[in-house]
Amino acid sequence: MTFWFWRGLRRGVVTTSYPAALDRWTATLPTPPTFFPDLLTTALVDRLSALCPAGALERQGSEMTYDVGACTACGRCLVAAGAAARPSGELELAATARRQLVKRVPIRAGPA
Amino acid sequence: MSAEPTGAPGSPGSEAEARLAGELAGQVAGMFGRSLHIRTIDTGSCAACESEIRLLVAPHYDLHRLGFFFTPAPRHADLLLVTGPGVRAMDTAVAKTFAAMPDPKVVVATGACALGGVYAENGFVHGAVDRVLPVDVYVPGCPPSPLALLHGLLVAVGRLREKVSALEFADPVEGPS
Repeated sequence: MTFWFWRGLRRGVVTTSYPAALDRWTATLPTPPTFFPDLLTTALVDRLSALCPAGALERQGSEMTYDVGACTACGRCLVAAGAAARPSGELELAATARRQLVKRVPIRAGPA
Repeated sequence: MSAEPTGAPGSPGSEAEARLAGELAGQVAGMFGRSLHIRTIDTGSCAACESEIRLLVAPHYDLHRLGFFFTPAPRHADLLLVTGPGVRAMDTAVAKTFAAMPDPKVVVATGACALGGVYAENGFVHGAVDRVLPVDVYVPGCPPSPLALLHGLLVAVGRLREKVSALEFADPVEGPS
């Protein structure tokens, strides 16, 4: 909150410049994760699927389906996946079709 | 406004009509482009989405600078912002609100509940808003931040423009009664 106070005092304008540009502070907002396919194993995906309270993660054969629409950005998978996932920092996620929000992430072949 | 006489194709009358039609189309597009009224409806949300929606009118985000306004009356609304998983107890209210809105109208489902991420379908909830309403735009997040909502509204404006351009600016022809 102090950020906005000082910015208002300094510039006289507190309003964000969005949609012209995203402000730097938005990087700290909770956002859905991005997964790295090279580090995703079958065992890890099964573990993440069991952890996800929203049922957003599911293994389908050699792919992991990730439903961004169902994701609550709780962060459990980020903690459990380690280097295999990081916050995406993506805020502009609105879609005109529900299926656009379901991502398919390939899983690395071979042993864990 | 004085009426121009209708003439044959290529005549000064038809050119005047085409010019007037173009001006009218520009005015309609301008009106929708500059001002759009939003009606929100809560179908069982935990109120986190409402908290973020409320922030849209705060000075940090200043929704009004983009021509969006909230309205309490569905009859004045162009856009229906729906939160919550669609509790069945709200079915009548949701249906009446949607029916009361004039065309063209856009439905925006907001938050993970509305998108089917939190509650499974059961006897109390539909589980997702698109099971009861024709949703045009989906905004993910739990709750979606005001910037995510703003992006969703801008996507919705694109959808609305499509719907406006699809409208026929003529009354349906009725036969003699």
